[in-house]
Amino acid sequence: MDNINILLIDDESEFVETLAERLELRGCLSKTAEDGESGIGMIASEPFDVVVLDLMMPGLNGLETLKQIRAIDKTLPVILLTGHGSIKEGMEGMQAGAFDFLMKPLDINELMEKIKLALNKPSKG
Amino acid sequence: MENQNDKAAFFGKITASVTHEIQNVLAIIKENSGLMEDFLLINQTEDLSDIEEKLGRCINSIKKQAYRGVGLTSGLNGFAHITDNTQISVNVLDLVKKLISITERLFKQKNVSLSIIESEKPYSIIIDPLLFQMVAFSCIECLVENFETDTHIAIEIQLLNNLTAIEFLYNDNTLENNSYKEKISHSAQWLKITNLCKQTNFKVEISTDTPGILIIFK
Repeated sequence: MDNINILLIDDESEFVETLAERLELRGCLSKTAEDGESGIGMIASEPFDVVVLDLMMPGLNGLETLKQIRAIDKTLPVILLTGHGSIKEGMEGMQAGAFDFLMKPLDINELMEKIKLALNKPSKG
Repeated sequence: MENQNDKAAFFGKITASVTHEIQNVLAIIKENSGLMEDFLLINQTEDLSDIEEKLGRCINSIKKQAYRGVGLTSGLNGFAHITDNTQISVNVLDLVKKLISITERLFKQKNVSLSIIESEKPYSIIIDPLLFQMVAFSCIECLVENFETDTHIAIEIQLLNNLTAIEFLYNDNTLENNSYKEKISHSAQWLKITNLCKQTNFKVEISTDTPGILIIFK
C-alpha cells in the first residue's frame, strides 16, 4: 500500500492528524482537511486515490460534501465515517455514491482493508 | 401524551448530540493509543529520544481528550438529573450555561455560535428546569431554522418590570420588523414554544427591534 494518496476530511483535527500519521506509518501519503469546503478544494486541485470523509461536520456536512465530490470526480472512492447512531446516514451515503462506511472509533486494520478494496473496485457514481 | 413525546424528543436530540461527541473523544483516544502502539511495534529502529517525544505527544492528546470526555459526561449526567425536581429555585444563568454546554455542538453543526450576555444580578426563579430548557432550546432552534445559519445568537437575561426575562436574539437587525415577526409566528417551532409556555408561568413574545424571542417568567 505504498504511495497511495489519501485525503482525510473531518472537523476533529486531532483525530484526522493522528489517523494520517498512522496511515503514513503504513506507507500511505495522507493529507487532511477540517471541513467539506476545503476538502472539495483539495480534490479539485490535486489527485487523490481515496477519500475518508466524516459525516457529521459543521457547515457542509458529509453527505453534501460527498455530492459535491461526485460532481467533480465520479469514480473517486469515498469511505464515510459515522457514529453508531448514524448508520442510516451511512446507507444514504452509499446510495449517494460512497464506496462504504465505517463506524467511529475506527479499527485501523479494517480501514486499511476498505482502502485496499476501494482501490480494486471503482466506486458507484 | 404530546408533552411526554416532546420531552422524549428533546432528551433524544440532546443525548444523540452529546454521545456523538463522546464517540469523537473515544476515537481520538483510540487513534492515539494505536499510534503509540505503532511507534513501539513498527518503528523499532528509531532513536529512543524520538520515540519518547512522539509518545509524549500522544499521552498529552489522550489526557486532553479525557478531560473533554469528563466535561461531556458531567454535562450529560447533570442533564439526566434535570427531572429530579419539577419545581425548584434555580439560577437562570446557570441553567442557560448548562444548556449551552450540552447543545453547543448541535448548533455548531449549523455554524451557529451561542453567547450569553451576563448580568451581575443572580436571577433566581422557581420553575420546572426541564420545561425551561425545552423552551430555551426551542427558541434557539426556532431562530436557527427560520433564519440563515452561519450566525450568532445572543442570550440575554434581564429584569423587565421586576420580572426575570430571557431574550434570544438573532444577530441580524437588518431584517424588517414585519418580515421576521411573520416568519417566526408562522413557524412550527413557534407553535411548540407557545404550547410549552402554556404549561408554565412563562409569557412568550417576539422581540420588537431585532429578530428574537422574549420569555418572561411571571
